[in-house]
Amino acid sequence: MACRLAENVQVRKESWGLLFYSQHRHKVCFVKSGDWLHPQYFDGTWTLEDIIADIASRTGTPAEIIERSIPKLTQRLTANRMIVNELC
Amino acid sequence: MNYAEWPLSAPVNITWEITHQCNLNCIHCLSSSSTESPGELNLDECLSIVDQLAALKIFEINFGGGEPLLKSYFIPLLRYIHERGIVTCISTNGTMLTDEAIACFADNPLVNVQVSLDGATPDVNDRIRGQGTFHRIIRGVERLAGKNIPLSINTVVTSLNFMQLSQLKELAGSYGASLRVSRFRPSGRGRESWEMLRLTSAQLQELSDWLGDDPSILTGDSFFSISGDGRRQLGLDMCGACKMTCCIDPCGFVYPCAFMQEKEFCGGNLRDTSFRSIWDESASFNYFRHLEPAACRNCPRFSKCRGGCPAVAYFVSKDLNSADPECLINWSRDVLPAPPVEGQK
Repeated sequence: MACRLAENVQVRKESWGLLFYSQHRHKVCFVKSGDWLHPQYFDGTWTLEDIIADIASRTGTPAEIIERSIPKLTQRLTANRMIVNELC
Repeated sequence: MNYAEWPLSAPVNITWEITHQCNLNCIHCLSSSSTESPGELNLDECLSIVDQLAALKIFEINFGGGEPLLKSYFIPLLRYIHERGIVTCISTNGTMLTDEAIACFADNPLVNVQVSLDGATPDVNDRIRGQGTFHRIIRGVERLAGKNIPLSINTVVTSLNFMQLSQLKELAGSYGASLRVSRFRPSGRGRESWEMLRLTSAQLQELSDWLGDDPSILTGDSFFSISGDGRRQLGLDMCGACKMTCCIDPCGFVYPCAFMQEKEFCGGNLRDTSFRSIWDESASFNYFRHLEPAACRNCPRFSKCRGGCPAVAYFVSKDLNSADPECLINWSRDVLPAPPVEGQK
Protein backbone atom coordinates (compact mmCIF):
# COMPACT_ATOMS: atom_id res chain seq x y z
CA MET A 1 0.00 0.00 0.00
CA ALA A 2 1.36 3.40 -0.97
CA CYS A 3 0.45 6.78 0.45
CA ARG A 4 -0.82 9.47 -1.85
CA LEU A 5 -2.16 12.95 -1.33
CA ALA A 6 -5.94 13.01 -1.48
CA GLU A 7 -7.54 14.82 -4.39
CA ASN A 8 -7.04 18.60 -4.30
CA VAL A 9 -4.66 18.43 -1.33
CA GLN A 10 -1.24 20.06 -1.34
CA VAL A 11 1.62 19.73 1.11
CA ARG A 12 4.76 21.68 1.91
CA LYS A 13 7.66 21.31 4.31
CA GLU A 14 7.98 23.57 7.33
CA SER A 15 10.66 23.75 10.00
CA TRP A 16 8.52 21.72 12.42
CA GLY A 17 7.11 19.18 9.92
CA LEU A 18 4.52 19.17 7.16
CA LEU A 19 1.65 21.51 6.37
CA PHE A 20 -1.23 19.98 4.41
CA TYR A 21 -3.88 22.07 2.68
CA SER A 22 -7.22 20.86 1.36
CA GLN A 23 -8.38 23.17 -1.40
CA HIS A 24 -12.05 22.25 -1.40
CA ARG A 25 -12.49 22.18 2.34
CA HIS A 26 -10.16 25.17 2.94
CA LYS A 27 -8.67 23.16 5.75
CA VAL A 28 -5.09 22.94 6.95
CA CYS A 29 -3.49 20.12 8.87
CA PHE A 30 -0.29 20.59 10.84
CA VAL A 31 1.89 17.50 11.29
CA LYS A 32 4.71 17.99 13.76
CA SER A 33 7.03 15.45 12.23
CA GLY A 34 10.23 17.48 12.40
CA ASP A 35 12.55 16.25 9.69
CA TRP A 36 11.05 12.77 9.49
CA LEU A 37 8.36 13.24 6.86
CA HIS A 38 8.91 14.83 3.46
CA PRO A 39 6.34 15.85 0.85
CA GLN A 40 7.60 13.35 -1.71
CA TYR A 41 6.52 10.48 0.54
CA PHE A 42 2.97 11.21 -0.57
CA ASP A 43 3.48 11.06 -4.32
CA GLY A 44 1.98 7.59 -4.52
CA THR A 45 5.25 5.70 -4.95
CA TRP A 46 6.29 5.20 -1.32
CA THR A 47 4.95 2.39 0.86
CA LEU A 48 4.93 2.73 4.64
CA GLU A 49 7.89 0.38 4.79
CA ASP A 50 9.82 2.53 2.28
CA ILE A 51 9.12 5.64 4.36
CA ILE A 52 10.26 4.02 7.59
CA ALA A 53 13.43 2.70 5.96
CA ASP A 54 14.24 6.09 4.44
CA ILE A 55 13.74 7.94 7.74
CA ALA A 56 15.91 5.40 9.54
CA SER A 57 18.62 5.81 6.93
CA ARG A 58 18.56 9.62 7.00
CA THR A 59 18.24 10.17 10.71
CA GLY A 60 19.92 7.13 12.23
CA THR A 61 16.81 6.49 14.33
CA PRO A 62 16.13 2.79 14.87
CA ALA A 63 13.33 1.54 12.65
CA GLU A 64 11.42 0.14 15.64
CA ILE A 65 11.04 3.63 17.07
CA ILE A 66 9.88 5.02 13.75
CA GLU A 67 7.44 2.16 13.31
CA ARG A 68 5.69 3.16 16.54
CA SER A 69 5.12 6.76 15.40
CA ILE A 70 4.65 6.92 11.65
CA PRO A 71 1.49 4.78 11.36
CA LYS A 72 -0.22 7.06 13.89
CA LEU A 73 0.70 10.10 11.79
CA THR A 74 -0.51 8.54 8.56
CA GLN A 75 -3.71 7.36 10.22
CA ARG A 76 -4.39 10.89 11.39
CA LEU A 77 -3.78 12.24 7.90
CA THR A 78 -6.10 9.61 6.45
CA ALA A 79 -8.77 10.44 9.03
CA ASN A 80 -8.43 14.12 8.04
CA ARG A 81 -8.75 13.10 4.39
CA MET A 82 -5.40 14.61 3.53
CA ILE A 83 -3.94 11.35 2.22
CA VAL A 84 -5.27 8.10 0.85
CA ASN A 85 -3.75 4.67 0.87
CA GLU A 86 -3.83 2.75 -2.34
CA LEU A 87 -2.60 -0.59 -3.55
CA CYS A 88 0.72 -0.42 -5.37
CA MET B 1 -2.51 27.72 16.69
CA ASN B 2 0.33 29.17 18.70
CA TYR B 3 2.46 30.89 16.07
CA ALA B 4 5.57 30.67 18.20
CA GLU B 5 5.24 26.90 18.16
CA TRP B 6 4.16 26.57 14.52
CA PRO B 7 5.73 29.46 12.56
CA LEU B 8 4.97 29.31 8.86
CA SER B 9 7.63 29.92 6.26
CA ALA B 10 4.96 31.61 4.15
CA PRO B 11 1.23 32.28 4.32
CA VAL B 12 -1.22 29.49 3.59
CA ASN B 13 -3.10 31.92 1.39
CA ILE B 14 -3.02 35.60 0.59
CA THR B 15 -5.62 38.15 -0.32
CA TRP B 16 -4.58 40.10 -3.37
CA GLU B 17 -6.55 43.26 -4.10
CA ILE B 18 -5.65 43.60 -7.73
CA THR B 19 -7.25 46.99 -8.33
CA HIS B 20 -9.17 49.74 -6.56
CA GLN B 21 -11.33 50.22 -9.63
CA CYS B 22 -14.92 49.13 -9.28
CA ASN B 23 -18.08 49.77 -11.22
CA LEU B 24 -20.17 49.57 -8.06
CA ASN B 25 -20.11 51.74 -4.94
CA CYS B 26 -21.16 49.44 -2.10
CA ILE B 27 -21.71 51.28 1.16
CA HIS B 28 -19.66 48.78 3.19
CA CYS B 29 -16.67 48.36 0.84
CA LEU B 30 -13.64 47.49 2.93
CA SER B 31 -11.23 49.13 0.49
CA SER B 32 -13.36 52.15 -0.48
CA SER B 33 -13.05 51.08 -4.10
CA SER B 34 -14.09 53.33 -6.97
CA THR B 35 -11.38 54.41 -9.44
CA GLU B 36 -8.04 52.81 -10.22
CA SER B 37 -5.32 54.09 -7.91
CA PRO B 38 -2.28 55.86 -9.35
CA GLY B 39 0.66 53.47 -9.50
CA GLU B 40 -1.18 50.14 -9.54
CA LEU B 41 1.09 47.21 -10.36
CA ASN B 42 1.57 46.33 -14.02
CA LEU B 43 1.45 42.78 -15.37
CA ASP B 44 5.20 42.20 -15.29
CA GLU B 45 5.33 43.28 -11.65
CA CYS B 46 2.46 40.94 -10.83
CA LEU B 47 4.15 38.02 -12.58
CA SER B 48 7.30 38.62 -10.59
CA ILE B 49 5.27 38.55 -7.39
CA VAL B 50 3.62 35.31 -8.47
CA ASP B 51 7.07 33.79 -9.02
CA GLN B 52 7.98 34.69 -5.44
CA LEU B 53 4.75 33.25 -4.06
CA ALA B 54 5.19 30.06 -6.04
CA ALA B 55 8.75 29.65 -4.75
CA LEU B 56 7.39 29.96 -1.22
CA LYS B 57 4.73 27.34 -2.02
CA ILE B 58 1.77 29.49 -1.10
CA PHE B 59 -1.33 27.36 -1.61
CA GLU B 60 -3.99 29.86 -2.58
CA ILE B 61 -4.47 33.43 -3.76
CA ASN B 62 -7.81 35.08 -3.07
CA PHE B 63 -8.41 37.90 -5.53
CA GLY B 64 -10.55 40.87 -4.70
CA GLY B 65 -10.42 44.57 -5.16
CA GLY B 66 -12.27 46.62 -6.39
CA GLU B 67 -13.57 44.37 -9.11
CA PRO B 68 -10.80 42.05 -10.36
CA LEU B 69 -12.39 41.58 -13.77
CA LEU B 70 -11.90 45.26 -14.50
CA LYS B 71 -8.12 44.71 -14.56
CA SER B 72 -7.22 44.27 -18.22
CA TYR B 73 -4.52 41.65 -17.51
CA PHE B 74 -6.45 39.68 -14.91
CA ILE B 75 -7.15 36.57 -17.03
CA PRO B 76 -3.55 36.26 -18.33
CA LEU B 77 -2.38 36.70 -14.73
CA LEU B 78 -4.70 33.91 -13.59
CA ARG B 79 -3.40 31.59 -16.28
CA TYR B 80 0.18 32.30 -15.19
CA ILE B 81 -0.73 31.49 -11.59
CA HIS B 82 -2.47 28.27 -12.57
CA GLU B 83 0.60 27.12 -14.51
CA ARG B 84 2.35 27.18 -11.15
CA GLY B 85 -0.29 25.06 -9.47
CA ILE B 86 -1.58 27.77 -7.15
CA VAL B 87 -5.29 27.70 -6.34
CA THR B 88 -7.21 30.91 -6.95
CA CYS B 89 -10.42 32.22 -5.52
CA ILE B 90 -11.92 35.12 -7.42
CA SER B 91 -14.24 37.40 -5.51
CA THR B 92 -16.34 39.26 -8.05
CA ASN B 93 -19.44 41.44 -8.01
CA GLY B 94 -20.77 39.28 -10.84
CA THR B 95 -21.59 42.19 -13.16
CA MET B 96 -18.42 42.23 -15.29
CA LEU B 97 -18.17 38.60 -16.40
CA THR B 98 -16.91 38.09 -19.93
CA ASP B 99 -16.99 34.95 -22.06
CA GLU B 100 -13.20 34.81 -21.73
CA ALA B 101 -13.40 34.91 -17.93
CA ILE B 102 -16.05 32.20 -17.78
CA ALA B 103 -14.04 30.02 -20.14
CA CYS B 104 -11.01 30.45 -17.85
CA PHE B 105 -13.04 29.49 -14.78
CA ALA B 106 -15.03 26.59 -16.19
CA ASP B 107 -13.79 23.06 -15.52
CA ASN B 108 -10.66 24.49 -13.93
CA PRO B 109 -9.66 22.62 -10.77
CA LEU B 110 -7.61 25.59 -9.59
CA VAL B 111 -10.50 28.08 -9.60
CA ASN B 112 -13.15 28.94 -7.06
CA VAL B 113 -15.51 31.84 -7.70
CA GLN B 114 -17.28 33.86 -5.08
CA VAL B 115 -20.03 36.29 -6.14
CA SER B 116 -20.95 39.05 -3.74
CA LEU B 117 -24.64 39.46 -2.99
CA ASP B 118 -25.99 41.25 0.05
CA GLY B 119 -29.68 40.40 0.01
CA ALA B 120 -32.06 37.73 -1.20
CA THR B 121 -34.33 40.38 -2.70
CA PRO B 122 -33.61 43.56 -4.68
CA ASP B 123 -34.91 45.90 -2.01
CA VAL B 124 -32.38 44.61 0.52
CA ASN B 125 -29.38 43.98 -1.74
CA ASP B 126 -29.68 47.22 -3.65
CA ARG B 127 -29.63 49.34 -0.51
CA ILE B 128 -26.08 48.10 0.00
CA ARG B 129 -24.75 47.43 -3.49
CA GLY B 130 -26.68 49.99 -5.52
CA GLN B 131 -29.89 50.37 -7.47
CA GLY B 132 -30.48 47.62 -9.99
CA THR B 133 -27.52 45.48 -8.89
CA PHE B 134 -29.52 42.51 -7.62
CA HIS B 135 -30.73 41.52 -11.06
CA ARG B 136 -27.33 42.17 -12.65
CA ILE B 137 -25.62 39.99 -10.02
CA ILE B 138 -28.14 37.17 -10.46
CA ARG B 139 -27.55 37.26 -14.23
CA GLY B 140 -23.86 36.79 -13.45
CA VAL B 141 -24.58 33.87 -11.13
CA GLU B 142 -26.75 32.30 -13.84
CA ARG B 143 -23.87 32.54 -16.31
CA LEU B 144 -21.52 30.81 -13.86
CA ALA B 145 -23.92 28.11 -12.69
CA GLY B 146 -23.66 24.69 -14.25
CA LYS B 147 -20.15 25.26 -15.62
CA ASN B 148 -18.36 22.99 -13.13
CA ILE B 149 -17.05 25.98 -11.19
CA PRO B 150 -16.95 25.73 -7.36
CA LEU B 151 -19.26 28.66 -6.75
CA SER B 152 -20.28 30.48 -3.61
CA ILE B 153 -22.40 33.49 -2.95
CA ASN B 154 -20.78 35.75 -0.38
CA THR B 155 -22.84 37.93 1.91
CA VAL B 156 -21.48 40.47 4.34
CA VAL B 157 -23.84 40.06 7.27
CA THR B 158 -25.38 43.37 8.31
CA SER B 159 -28.48 44.57 10.08
CA LEU B 160 -30.08 45.11 6.67
CA ASN B 161 -29.80 41.51 5.42
CA PHE B 162 -29.66 39.59 8.69
CA MET B 163 -33.25 38.35 8.37
CA GLN B 164 -32.59 36.98 4.88
CA LEU B 165 -29.70 34.63 5.61
CA SER B 166 -31.80 31.49 5.26
CA GLN B 167 -33.31 32.80 2.03
CA LEU B 168 -29.81 33.57 0.77
CA LYS B 169 -28.77 30.01 1.48
CA GLU B 170 -31.76 28.74 -0.50
CA LEU B 171 -31.04 31.17 -3.30
CA ALA B 172 -27.40 30.04 -3.46
CA GLY B 173 -28.47 26.41 -3.44
CA SER B 174 -30.86 26.97 -6.35
CA TYR B 175 -27.80 27.76 -8.48
CA GLY B 176 -25.69 24.94 -7.10
CA ALA B 177 -23.70 27.40 -5.02
CA SER B 178 -22.70 27.47 -1.36
CA LEU B 179 -23.46 30.39 0.89
CA ARG B 180 -20.48 32.10 2.44
CA VAL B 181 -21.03 34.75 5.09
CA SER B 182 -18.50 37.41 5.96
CA ARG B 183 -18.27 39.62 8.96
CA PHE B 184 -18.99 43.31 8.55
CA ARG B 185 -16.02 45.32 9.74
CA PRO B 186 -15.60 49.10 10.07
CA SER B 187 -12.86 49.25 7.41
CA GLY B 188 -12.89 51.49 4.31
CA ARG B 189 -16.42 52.75 3.61
CA GLY B 190 -17.55 50.38 6.33
CA ARG B 191 -16.36 52.96 8.84
CA GLU B 192 -18.99 55.41 7.67
CA SER B 193 -21.74 52.78 7.68
CA TRP B 194 -20.69 50.95 10.88
CA GLU B 195 -23.36 52.46 13.11
CA MET B 196 -26.12 51.71 10.64
CA LEU B 197 -25.08 48.21 9.60
CA ARG B 198 -23.52 46.49 12.61
CA LEU B 199 -25.43 43.66 14.26
CA THR B 200 -26.97 43.95 17.69
CA SER B 201 -25.95 41.65 20.52
CA ALA B 202 -29.12 39.61 20.06
CA GLN B 203 -28.45 39.25 16.34
CA LEU B 204 -24.88 38.13 17.01
CA GLN B 205 -26.16 35.47 19.39
CA GLU B 206 -28.71 34.32 16.83
CA LEU B 207 -26.04 34.27 14.11
CA SER B 208 -23.73 32.22 16.29
CA ASP B 209 -26.52 29.70 16.94
CA TRP B 210 -27.44 29.54 13.24
CA LEU B 211 -23.84 28.94 12.20
CA GLY B 212 -23.52 26.29 14.89
CA ASP B 213 -26.59 24.47 13.53
CA ASP B 214 -25.44 24.48 9.90
CA PRO B 215 -21.84 23.51 9.18
CA SER B 216 -22.46 23.85 5.43
CA ILE B 217 -22.40 27.64 5.71
CA LEU B 218 -18.91 28.81 4.80
CA THR B 219 -17.31 31.51 6.89
CA GLY B 220 -13.57 31.36 6.26
CA ASP B 221 -12.15 32.91 9.37
CA SER B 222 -14.78 35.62 9.59
CA PHE B 223 -16.68 34.54 12.66
CA PHE B 224 -14.14 32.72 14.74
CA SER B 225 -14.73 35.05 17.66
CA ILE B 226 -18.36 34.02 17.99
CA SER B 227 -18.10 30.41 16.86
CA GLY B 228 -19.28 27.77 19.24
CA ASP B 229 -16.95 24.88 19.93
CA GLY B 230 -18.72 22.57 17.52
CA ARG B 231 -17.97 24.79 14.56
CA ARG B 232 -14.41 25.73 15.43
CA GLN B 233 -12.89 22.68 13.83
CA LEU B 234 -14.32 23.70 10.46
CA GLY B 235 -11.93 26.55 9.97
CA LEU B 236 -9.57 29.03 11.50
CA ASP B 237 -10.25 29.64 15.13
CA MET B 238 -8.17 32.76 15.58
CA CYS B 239 -7.00 35.78 13.67
CA GLY B 240 -4.84 34.61 10.80
CA ALA B 241 -3.25 37.98 10.03
CA CYS B 242 0.49 37.52 9.52
CA LYS B 243 0.24 33.93 10.71
CA MET B 244 -1.74 32.20 7.95
CA THR B 245 -2.44 35.07 5.58
CA CYS B 246 -1.72 38.65 4.58
CA CYS B 247 -2.89 41.10 1.94
CA ILE B 248 -1.25 42.65 -1.13
CA ASP B 249 -2.84 45.91 -2.26
CA PRO B 250 -3.07 47.15 -5.88
CA CYS B 251 0.16 49.15 -5.56
CA GLY B 252 2.24 46.35 -4.03
CA PHE B 253 1.97 47.28 -0.36
CA VAL B 254 1.64 44.29 1.96
CA TYR B 255 -0.60 44.41 5.02
CA PRO B 256 -1.49 41.97 7.80
CA CYS B 257 -4.91 41.41 6.25
CA ALA B 258 -7.42 43.03 3.92
CA PHE B 259 -9.10 44.78 6.84
CA MET B 260 -5.89 46.31 8.21
CA GLN B 261 -4.78 48.39 5.21
CA GLU B 262 -3.53 51.34 7.19
CA LYS B 263 -0.10 52.90 6.68
CA GLU B 264 0.98 52.17 10.24
CA PHE B 265 0.43 48.42 9.73
CA CYS B 266 2.17 48.15 6.36
CA GLY B 267 4.92 45.53 6.21
CA GLY B 268 6.59 46.91 3.08
CA ASN B 269 6.21 47.30 -0.68
CA LEU B 270 6.93 44.53 -3.16
CA ARG B 271 8.40 46.98 -5.64
CA ASP B 272 11.47 47.32 -3.44
CA THR B 273 11.33 44.46 -0.92
CA SER B 274 10.90 40.75 -1.47
CA PHE B 275 7.79 39.04 -0.17
CA ARG B 276 9.96 36.74 1.94
CA SER B 277 11.68 39.68 3.62
CA ILE B 278 8.37 41.33 4.43
CA TRP B 279 6.91 38.07 5.78
CA ASP B 280 9.98 37.16 7.83
CA GLU B 281 11.33 40.49 8.96
CA SER B 282 8.81 43.31 9.00
CA ALA B 283 8.26 44.77 12.44
CA SER B 284 4.55 45.14 11.80
CA PHE B 285 4.11 41.48 10.94
CA ASN B 286 6.10 40.31 13.93
CA TYR B 287 4.00 42.55 16.15
CA PHE B 288 0.76 41.05 14.87
CA ARG B 289 2.01 37.51 15.27
CA HIS B 290 2.42 38.01 18.97
CA LEU B 291 -0.50 40.36 19.59
CA GLU B 292 -2.49 39.33 22.64
CA PRO B 293 -4.83 42.21 23.51
CA ALA B 294 -4.28 43.23 27.09
CA ALA B 295 -8.03 43.54 27.62
CA CYS B 296 -8.52 39.88 26.76
CA ARG B 297 -5.69 38.03 28.47
CA ASN B 298 -7.64 37.14 31.61
CA CYS B 299 -10.77 36.10 29.73
CA PRO B 300 -11.75 32.43 30.20
CA ARG B 301 -12.17 32.17 26.44
CA PHE B 302 -8.83 33.68 25.51
CA SER B 303 -7.22 30.43 24.44
CA LYS B 304 -10.05 29.93 21.96
CA CYS B 305 -10.05 33.26 20.15
CA ARG B 306 -6.88 35.09 21.25
CA GLY B 307 -8.68 38.41 21.42
CA GLY B 308 -10.89 38.19 18.35
CA CYS B 309 -10.49 40.46 15.33
CA PRO B 310 -7.95 43.24 15.86
CA ALA B 311 -9.33 45.15 12.88
CA VAL B 312 -12.72 45.60 14.49
CA ALA B 313 -11.17 46.37 17.87
CA TYR B 314 -8.80 48.91 16.34
CA PHE B 315 -11.25 50.78 14.12
CA VAL B 316 -13.84 51.02 16.89
CA SER B 317 -11.53 52.01 19.73
CA LYS B 318 -8.24 52.98 17.99
CA ASP B 319 -6.47 50.61 20.37
CA LEU B 320 -5.10 47.20 19.34
CA ASN B 321 -5.05 46.18 22.99
CA SER B 322 -8.79 46.56 23.39
CA ALA B 323 -11.19 43.66 23.08
CA ASP B 324 -13.08 42.77 19.93
CA PRO B 325 -16.41 44.48 20.72
CA GLU B 326 -18.39 41.63 19.15
CA CYS B 327 -16.89 38.71 21.02
CA LEU B 328 -19.09 36.20 22.86
CA ILE B 329 -18.07 37.51 26.26
CA ASN B 330 -18.40 41.19 25.36
CA TRP B 331 -21.87 41.16 23.87
CA SER B 332 -23.25 42.83 26.93
CA ARG B 333 -20.84 45.72 26.61
CA ASP B 334 -21.74 48.83 24.71
CA VAL B 335 -20.14 48.97 21.30
CA LEU B 336 -18.25 52.20 20.85
CA PRO B 337 -19.23 54.39 17.88
CA ALA B 338 -16.77 54.48 15.00
CA PRO B 339 -14.34 57.39 15.10
CA PRO B 340 -15.28 60.26 12.81
CA VAL B 341 -14.15 59.87 9.23
CA GLU B 342 -11.42 62.37 8.37
CA GLY B 343 -12.89 65.56 6.93
CA GLN B 344 -16.30 64.99 8.44
CA LYS B 345 -17.63 66.34 11.71
